[in-house]
Amino acid sequence: MRRESQLKKVLTAGHFAVTAECGPPKGADPESVIKKGRLLKGSVDSVNVTDNQTGVVRLCSLAACALLKQEGLDPVLQMVTRDRNRIALQSDILGASALGIRNILCLSGDHQSFGNQPQSLGVFDLDSIQLISTVHQMRDDSQILGGEALSQGPDLFIGAAANPFADPFFYRVIRMAKKVRAGAEFIQTQCIYNLDRFKEWMSQVRDRGLHDQVYILGGLTPLKSAKMAEYMGSQVAGMDIPEKLVARMKGVPPKEQRREGLKICVETIQALREIEGVKGIHLMAIEWEEVVPEIVKEAGLLPRPN
Amino acid sequence: MITAERKPLDEIITMISPYKKLLIVGCGSCVAECASGGEKEVGLLGSALRMDARLTTRELETREITLERQCVYEFIDQLTGLIDQYEAVLSLGCGAGVQAVAEVFPRTPILPALNTLFLGQTKEAGLWLENCRGCGDCRLHLFAAVCPISRCAKQLFNGPCGGSQGGHCEVHPEVPCAWDLVVTGLETQGRLDLLETVYPPADWSKKQGVGFRRIVREDQQ
Amino acid sequence: MTTTIPDLNVTIFFCQQLDPNQDANRRVLEKKLGPRVKFFPLPCSGRIEPLHFLRALEAGADLVYLITCPEKACRYQQGNLRARKRMAYAQKLIQEIGLDPDRLILISTTPPLPKRIDLLTQKFLAEPPLKGRSLLSKL
Repeated sequence: MRRESQLKKVLTAGHFAVTAECGPPKGADPESVIKKGRLLKGSVDSVNVTDNQTGVVRLCSLAACALLKQEGLDPVLQMVTRDRNRIALQSDILGASALGIRNILCLSGDHQSFGNQPQSLGVFDLDSIQLISTVHQMRDDSQILGGEALSQGPDLFIGAAANPFADPFFYRVIRMAKKVRAGAEFIQTQCIYNLDRFKEWMSQVRDRGLHDQVYILGGLTPLKSAKMAEYMGSQVAGMDIPEKLVARMKGVPPKEQRREGLKICVETIQALREIEGVKGIHLMAIEWEEVVPEIVKEAGLLPRPN
Repeated sequence: MITAERKPLDEIITMISPYKKLLIVGCGSCVAECASGGEKEVGLLGSALRMDARLTTRELETREITLERQCVYEFIDQLTGLIDQYEAVLSLGCGAGVQAVAEVFPRTPILPALNTLFLGQTKEAGLWLENCRGCGDCRLHLFAAVCPISRCAKQLFNGPCGGSQGGHCEVHPEVPCAWDLVVTGLETQGRLDLLETVYPPADWSKKQGVGFRRIVREDQQ
Repeated sequence: MTTTIPDLNVTIFFCQQLDPNQDANRRVLEKKLGPRVKFFPLPCSGRIEPLHFLRALEAGADLVYLITCPEKACRYQQGNLRARKRMAYAQKLIQEIGLDPDRLILISTTPPLPKRIDLLTQKFLAEPPLKGRSLLSKL
């Protein structure tokens, strides 16, 4: 199966790309994945599937991607280095490609202490940058780590995450540059609420000429409530939600907060489209995937290119 | 030093319950430094165990002795002659010491009173911090002497990860982000160039070994 | 002032800095109270070790007192604070073998408590805490 990555096609053609995220179930049931896939089809170019996010055991990303592939979607396999050593990682990379999966997002992963298996061993044989490098080597040199030749290299569009809101701020762009040097071809950022800080980061990105070397997709998560805004701002590491946004959410009666959250999301998308170097968006509507088609439509991003 | 902590007393009491004559052996090195297995701690443990035996009307006779080190034959040998008078040894050495003693005296059960924890430093009185995992491939010169393996929760070589905020690791607000320390350390020393390198995957075989690791030096034999 | 001689074994660790005449003062009381009451002066209460508490209990003490200078009045700055922490450590330890941690008592000589060792001792021995004989002192 040699079909190309839809995401890569859309980006190289110069379109503003739209990707979304799909969380697999905490069970062996394929139906929920298929359902989510059908919801998103037509509204997005590709769908990320998370990999035991937050260290919580879920149906594996690889299987979920295969299910989405069967539904005619273009999945992005998220792969963390927390749970598998290099033997398993490289093996899964080959497997993904064999199943027709054409995109991979390389991550370190949330620490195992956060999830429902805190006693497990965190593997971390590789880090995210080493994983990017490994996929790159397997694909372009048809070699595994150590140099041994592969009978056939994987065909994968390589992505990485970037967090413009984590510390140390000055170093974040340097680290993204490293990911690009290691082989990253597209970047999905952590969700953006603080546009000023994001613009500042993008200007640093452009100063280094990185916006021409890698496709940057701005991450977004629509806020469901003022409580969610408050929680995420204070409890989740690496998240920056400006006070005025929280105030805006609070200033609206609870019944209308969802609508307000969606409004903010659409406004942010429109702002992102104006920023030089931003080539698309990545919608992470966790357990709220049904709202994605609406957001994409209201942001004027339909129909998606074929 | 190697750090350790005394096991909970109920665990030790269960461990020694088959024995009536117990030799309690401390170690004057690492475990004395971290206040868990030195002479003072031997005295403390001995007193507590004897009192417990009286309270539960069990027979227990003890003798206390502290060796300079429990991991070197020359010191362990001091127990020769003495050890035969006892049914078991309660060792306050680290795991290395317990096993070293056991190999010299295979007929006597050697029981561990401590849980051995980590390689670390005495940061200040009463505070010990892990800072080395014995990876066998030290590259502290590249990371402003902040070890990414022992001090980064994800042992990243190309950190920091996205969870670093305000200099803290995502796993706990009290845990400093090692990579924040590396980056600021290298910046202070004017060596940020060292972070341009994409560090390749580590050779974990140097840490894991094949079976247990060993060092052989013929010039020392 | 008559002293009620308790029918308990009492060990008293105390900071020498409290009473310049401690040597003379306590010997008078020792004679009066008999062998059940034992005094141990320390150059600073911070020099107490958990081991001292355990040994005292092992030797049959029903109550062990530690007398410190008032907070902020320690000649060596932190001594009395350290004393408190070490007593807490000893209390936790003896709890693990089923002994009552309240058998270890800290007395911080904040006014109006007297600092003379004999007067102070008479005062607190006159009202012993509700602890009977320790099982260890009977065995």
